[in-house]
Amino acid sequence: MTTNVQTLGTTGTRANEGAAAIVIAALLGIGLVFLAGFAPASALHNAAHDFRHTQNFPCH
Amino acid sequence: MIIRLLSAALVAGFLAAVVATGLQLALTSQLIIAAERYETRAAHEAADARLPIILAHAPAQGQAHGGHAHDHGTAGPGGEWQPGPGLPRMAFTGLATLIGAVGYALLLGAAMLACGRAPTPERALAFGLAGFAALALAPALGLPPELPGSEAAPLVTRQAWWLMTAAATAMGLYLILIRRAAITILGGLVLIVAPHLAGAPVPPEGNSGVPAILAAQFAARSLGVAFVFWAMIGLAFGWAWQVFGREAKAPARA
Repeated sequence: MTTNVQTLGTTGTRANEGAAAIVIAALLGIGLVFLAGFAPASALHNAAHDFRHTQNFPCH
Repeated sequence: MIIRLLSAALVAGFLAAVVATGLQLALTSQLIIAAERYETRAAHEAADARLPIILAHAPAQGQAHGGHAHDHGTAGPGGEWQPGPGLPRMAFTGLATLIGAVGYALLLGAAMLACGRAPTPERALAFGLAGFAALALAPALGLPPELPGSEAAPLVTRQAWWLMTAAATAMGLYLILIRRAAITILGGLVLIVAPHLAGAPVPPEGNSGVPAILAAQFAARSLGVAFVFWAMIGLAFGWAWQVFGREAKAPARA
């Protein structure tokens, strides 16, 4: 995996590598938000309780 | 590129989480704890209301039940694990905020690159504000931020409506602000309005023990915290993206 910085000027990127990075970041992001905001396990719910209420994730 | 994206999201998530955790502890946590006092009191009153009937049949059993209910209140709902009061609870709130913030920052970065917008602090701030509109403001119009103990519709239907509204609003904003053709603007408006026409799950009629002033204060503060949270994620992501870009460029090939 070579990081080609040149493709990332001010015009953005449309390279294959860019697409892979976008997909990986999006999936990882969805996973983390699910963990913090939606995971139904009661221990996770209780740990994240105040965050969920404040950020208005449906809770209880 | 993936390294740069992940690094920038980690840094942005951390900075936003520090600010948001501070705001949460200062503004909303005390309201949640105050509301929980009403919630447990309501549970105790319900237990007390049951008590005379049980007492009439078997006094000893009724007393035992009363004592048990009291233990129940201090041990937490159902005896499930929960962070201890005070510092552990604050620490877990901070940890959850960090995980959520990094997740949101990753989504923001992915959305910016997918739209072909190279992140600068200004552009990322604009995306952050769009994220606030889509993931905080739009769902809150139908499902206002709730304190513990408030009456609410079943959890799964609320989560489904929340996700649907967030996704539709994000898509609508994309069609309006980035595609900018007459037909996509029309479609975007339809997408943004449709979830609210369909209507959020309605809570059952019932009296909540939480005073209205607490609930109103909480809703306003919650949206305020969410606004700062998203603005910080955007600004910090744009800044960190530039910083990691410079660092990668300096040694010619990273």
